[in-house]
Amino acid sequence: MEKRSMTRKTFLQTAAGAVAVTAFSRGASAMAETPGPKRGVCIYSYSDDIFKTVTLEDCLAAAGDLGGEGQEIGLDILANSHIEGYPNPSDAWVRKWHDMCAKYRVKPVEYGHWVESKLYSEKPPWLGTRESYDMLVRDIKLANRLGFTCGRTKLGVMDGQLTPVSNWREFIKMALPVAEKYNFRMLPEIHSPSRLKSKMIDDYVDFIQKEKTTPWFGLNIDFSVFRNRRSDGGAQGGPPADMAGGPGGPGGRGGWEAGEPSKVEEMIPLLPYVHCCHAKFMEMNDNCEETTIPYPEIVKMLVEHKWNGYLVSEYEGADRNSGGAFTAVRKHHVMMRRLLGEA
Amino acid sequence: MLEKEIIQETGFRNVHRDGQIAGFQVGYRSCYYRSVWLSMSLGFDVTVDGEKFGRDRIAVTVGGKTYTQEEMKKIGDVQWSIAEAAILTVEKPGGLKPGLHEVEIGWGHAASYMPMEFGSMPRRLQSPNVDAAMHGMMPFTEKRTIVLVV
Repeated sequence: MEKRSMTRKTFLQTAAGAVAVTAFSRGASAMAETPGPKRGVCIYSYSDDIFKTVTLEDCLAAAGDLGGEGQEIGLDILANSHIEGYPNPSDAWVRKWHDMCAKYRVKPVEYGHWVESKLYSEKPPWLGTRESYDMLVRDIKLANRLGFTCGRTKLGVMDGQLTPVSNWREFIKMALPVAEKYNFRMLPEIHSPSRLKSKMIDDYVDFIQKEKTTPWFGLNIDFSVFRNRRSDGGAQGGPPADMAGGPGGPGGRGGWEAGEPSKVEEMIPLLPYVHCCHAKFMEMNDNCEETTIPYPEIVKMLVEHKWNGYLVSEYEGADRNSGGAFTAVRKHHVMMRRLLGEA
Repeated sequence: MLEKEIIQETGFRNVHRDGQIAGFQVGYRSCYYRSVWLSMSLGFDVTVDGEKFGRDRIAVTVGGKTYTQEEMKKIGDVQWSIAEAAILTVEKPGGLKPGLHEVEIGWGHAASYMPMEFGSMPRRLQSPNVDAAMHGMMPFTEKRTIVLVV
């Protein structure tokens, strides 16, 4: 195992470093962004390998290798997990971060963070409005320091319908000017078993419209809401990242048990509020097609509506635990290139 | 880097105080995909060869600092990184004999974005397919036979 990981590490760093030399000469750091849906990767996809068989740098190298000539791959990280010394990384680490992003041609896009309402107690009363705001602001500033422009802003929940904590409107409103100052879009993730036609979405949209929060507070749609098939491989490796897994759990397994999936067209009215999507995927076949989520329909809709943002690949397939994530993400990007008309 | 297994063999050793063997240490890497605030750790339990050790006899070292489990409950601004094994120091005068030991460690954590309380749930045995099993979503127990040398 160690031998394999060393081989991967050495290869990735050498290969990506070689590409980076040419990239620098073209001025990669000032690369203009093309409009429309763009490709990205959640480092979360590599959770079963990171810090065990590979380093964070190996993961960035793997992500950067998905980009073509003159193309940067968007990056989604989990602040707690992937920032050394979080929430107070050293200046040296921050420099290293920016150096790695330049070397591997990855662009910080989305910063996963949590408002930890249950920081001191699982039972109410949960974290107060001021403390929640302080936690949010700490993350907004750090995200900005690392170059991120969106946040997967996870709110604490009160019940099995994943209703956000009762004070969410208050601390989000307080944080809006800070988000604007630091160019950071706070995006709660809409993840199965939540559905696009639901009270939760109505409440978010109502708040967004009433408080005119665009773009500083919006939505991240996780494609688990569209999942309409089980994977051919049968057993799932793990529960969806943000759900209680297991048979009978509330909406485990990427939403299969959560009833009818959302329809792709239900996302259209939400597009003005969506600044990043979690391109969740569960299984890629050898034709590089995802077998459980209607990707052709989703991407076609996004392209037709000129949606502008990153689709960050988030893998939760059965073979993730046995080193399968790197290949699965590469297959996913073959599919996305096809669907986006890149190949 | 960390061992793929949750209970780490490297670092499993007796510890000395005042010239005596005061106990032993064992490393435990998080089975969760996310680093957690110390206050959200719901506690570590250790059993070795069937002998259970109470939480008041288990200190936890993360980020170079050692905490009692009671102290951890109040610390909401320090994280236990998924990149680092927590070193559990278990008080056991005389320590463990060199050789194989069956080490069992239970751990759980709170999660703000989950609807239920995990602290109140019974611990479950981790499957051999460790990471895939639950990503630490529930309090669970992990078991591994490892070798103590010194």
